[in-house]
Amino acid sequence: MVRALDKKLLRDVWRMRLHAIGVILVLACGLSVFVMAVGMRGSLERTRAQYYAERKMADLAVSVVRAPQRLVNTLAGAPGVAIAEDRIAGMALLDLSQIDEPASARLVSLPRVGRPRVNDLTIARGRWPDASRADEVLVNEAFATALGLNIGDTLAAVMHGRRQILRVVGFANSPEFVFVSAPGELFPQPERFGVIWMSRDAMERAYDLGGSFNEVVFRLGRGADQRRTIEAIDRIAAPYGSNGAYGRDRMMSDRFLTEELHQLATMAAFLPVFFLIVAAFLVNISLGRVIATERSNIGLLKAFGYSHWDVAWHYAKSALLFALIGGVLGSAAGIWFGRAVAAMYRQYYHFPSLEFSASPATFAAAWGAGITAAALGAVVSVWQAARLAPAEALAAPKPAAFSGMRGWIADLGERLDAKNRIILRRIARFPRRAATTTIGVALAIALLVVARAFPAVMDRLLDVHFNLANRQDVTLSFVEPRETGVLFDVQRLPGVIYAEPFRADAVILQNAQHRVQEAIIGVPQDAALNRLIGADRRVIAPPLSGIVLARGLAAKLNAHPGDEIVAEETGGRRIVARVRVSGIVEPMIGSSAYMDLNALEELMREPGRISGAHVRLDSTQYHAFNLRLKATPALAGASFVRLAERSMRNNFNEHVGVMILIYSAFAAVMAGGVAFSAARVTLAEQQRDLATLRVLGFTRAEASYVLVAEIAVLALLAIPLGCGFGTLMGMWMMRLFETDMYAFPYVYNAQGYAFAVAFTLACVAIASLIVRRDVDRLDMVGVLKARD
Amino acid sequence: MGAVFALKGLTKIYGEGETAVRALADVDLEIAEGELMVLLGPSGSGKSTLLNILGGLDRPTSGEVLFRGASLSQMDERALTRYRRAHVGFIFQFYNLIPSLTAAENVDLVREIAENPLSAAEALTLVGLGDRQHHFPAQLSGGEQQRVAVARAIAKRPAILLCDEPTGALDVHTGVRVLEALAKVNARYGSTTLIVTHNADVARMGQRVVRFGDGRIRSLEVNAKPAPPSELKW
Repeated sequence: MVRALDKKLLRDVWRMRLHAIGVILVLACGLSVFVMAVGMRGSLERTRAQYYAERKMADLAVSVVRAPQRLVNTLAGAPGVAIAEDRIAGMALLDLSQIDEPASARLVSLPRVGRPRVNDLTIARGRWPDASRADEVLVNEAFATALGLNIGDTLAAVMHGRRQILRVVGFANSPEFVFVSAPGELFPQPERFGVIWMSRDAMERAYDLGGSFNEVVFRLGRGADQRRTIEAIDRIAAPYGSNGAYGRDRMMSDRFLTEELHQLATMAAFLPVFFLIVAAFLVNISLGRVIATERSNIGLLKAFGYSHWDVAWHYAKSALLFALIGGVLGSAAGIWFGRAVAAMYRQYYHFPSLEFSASPATFAAAWGAGITAAALGAVVSVWQAARLAPAEALAAPKPAAFSGMRGWIADLGERLDAKNRIILRRIARFPRRAATTTIGVALAIALLVVARAFPAVMDRLLDVHFNLANRQDVTLSFVEPRETGVLFDVQRLPGVIYAEPFRADAVILQNAQHRVQEAIIGVPQDAALNRLIGADRRVIAPPLSGIVLARGLAAKLNAHPGDEIVAEETGGRRIVARVRVSGIVEPMIGSSAYMDLNALEELMREPGRISGAHVRLDSTQYHAFNLRLKATPALAGASFVRLAERSMRNNFNEHVGVMILIYSAFAAVMAGGVAFSAARVTLAEQQRDLATLRVLGFTRAEASYVLVAEIAVLALLAIPLGCGFGTLMGMWMMRLFETDMYAFPYVYNAQGYAFAVAFTLACVAIASLIVRRDVDRLDMVGVLKARD
Repeated sequence: MGAVFALKGLTKIYGEGETAVRALADVDLEIAEGELMVLLGPSGSGKSTLLNILGGLDRPTSGEVLFRGASLSQMDERALTRYRRAHVGFIFQFYNLIPSLTAAENVDLVREIAENPLSAAEALTLVGLGDRQHHFPAQLSGGEQQRVAVARAIAKRPAILLCDEPTGALDVHTGVRVLEALAKVNARYGSTTLIVTHNADVARMGQRVVRFGDGRIRSLEVNAKPAPPSELKW
């Protein structure tokens, strides 16, 4: 049987159902993000760990220019190494009938006997290549799917300057290529970049590496000290043009996965907390109001003999009820949300299977967080209820004391008419209550400011990267550095309006104990296509001497302008030079180092030799340009910047855009909830005064004015507060999301702020109007004859 | 003296069907200009309902109320607000002062929307609170708060003063002072004053006393010699 007190509880909750819905929705939003982010992170981590273990993902890798095959035995003997497998890897340009532009691929050799012992493959369709057939290859499944390839199809590939026809005998996935993007590109374009596995013999022939290898992948034994192993490998591999062994942190695919996990963790930590704070806040407002109106009931209950604890528990239960309903809804929404995100991830991360699942611990944590938030919101009101002495609760409440206003508030009060004086004095007399409303509205504005900052930041990121820093249509990379004169050949390609040379040298930069493997990009003084961007998005010329570091790189090296750092060439010539840091630049994407083109040529002792060219195209000649490109064997790669931009923008619009939309919707729920609660509570508190005004002969409009104007004043006060808080939070959040590859500068976008303010004020206005209707319906007699 | 109110067949029913409650049943009554009338009866007898209808806070289900010849039953919400604003002063059992305004400012509240009102000082002096004008409600006793309510009600020199249990929450001594204030206002400004009470002693100050029971007028007595409030005891 339901106890009478519990019936009362249910009816109380029903009475405050509008508040309750607000609290529950906000809780559900926050908890759904939590369940999604924590669950997704767990799912990704589990799936990754399982996949890596099953398919023996490499722990370390090292590239060399060329090493004799027997060296692999020496490497296998390095401390901590369990398996060392040598292989040949290279790049190839592909001529595909499906797309206009030349595509490229990373080629990886398969062992002569058996399957790879490290980075083993899963065959999704087809079969393993026959080791004796030089033309049989496997391609990665995403590439095959994007191009609509079938088993038995052929591909034309240019490897090391030689054109060869390859026959696809199977589609495969590898733990090494869960995330596949072309070198230097941060976004997958599966139809333009693939991975091809082919026989060792064919690879040796294609890359002139008979009896040799140029890459070794390692599995480490249990308890191996990775740093010691790397040092040992480096000592062995150095004479063969090694650029240093590296761990998973520098394997592209794993690095992306790790960053994704980092962002999920950030999201799990940050967003739900914000929602939970707001939920606690709403509980505080609504329960506070219920308890204020329940004074006499509380007195009665206590007079009947209910203990303080009974009374406190009675009111706390309604908060817990909100938390439970919010927890159920949030969990369900989180599962749905998680499945949708998993489906999105499957497009980018190629695991054999990736399903969303959240552990019982995740749900428990979500429920615990929801209950904690509700309890925190309830604690003050419940404490007040518990503390109320029965006699005091049963006596008619005394009018709130308003004496003792001094200073400018008193002066201002004198000059206002009665209605405005009421508003002023109520705010001044109950600053905490007024602050609750203002802070609530400010939180709503702040959340929307943050939500709207994301698209602006993404826009800025893409704008700076693609319109300011990289204005070329295509970047062509040569197989080996070529004489500057080659630029004339490039310029003669069909459709080329302008060609700009560049150099890129792989180096290890070292400052004291900090070592970072990166590329130094040589930029000409009068660069018009690929430019350096300094603070405030100013285009700057490379310094004539010294090196310029991207901010992220400078941070990793702990290097400052004026410091001298060491650059160690890793292309096999082992050039080591000291260079002075002459400045910091702010690329939005990537973290390279930059030098003047000529200075870099000097440093690398290759004067007059360039690694490639950025070109600007006449779009009408696009097709002709691509046709010629496909027939140019000296090219190692062609990066189509506009295609990359398009794919990135599409991705942002489709996925990030949807996420932002969801968060904006959540923010809107929150803004509406807070605004509505604040307006309702203000009405409830003022009900008696408003009824008095109506009885005295004030019109509805005049009486409503007192209510609406008070809320309006508090909401207006919330604007600067909310914008300021939102900005700080946005800046902080962008810092949290920042990674090695992406810098997220906080962008002040007026539109975002305007939207946040306008939307929130509209919510407040609508809530006020709804509440104002209640003023119209006010039972004047009932209110005034009631004791309170 | 003409009638300020003329009531014919006034009926008020709350609710519908089986749950319908007849608060007023077929009441006929005329109230003269400047009269001090006491409406007496137990709770639920209909006297407050009548007061609310006369004050324009409620509307009859059927029947007619004429205020100086104009029908209140025909007025819409807006017209009723105008009517209250121009002619009616209300006093409730629980004072209903605005806590954020001082005594004088509570009176000013009415002065801001009235034509030719008394000054706050005049109104408060009249109820014996000339020296407490700048006190907030929280700084005043119950009786003082009720007298501020009286001052607020009379500041607009209302044609009618409607008092619903004005002494209900007060002890004899303070209650008498409130009634004295009401009698004084009635005498000085000729405001028609209706006092609703269940206290038979208070009825002795009325020029006429209407007894209510079950929504009907049970009796109407003319008091040839109304007692001054100072002689009342309960």
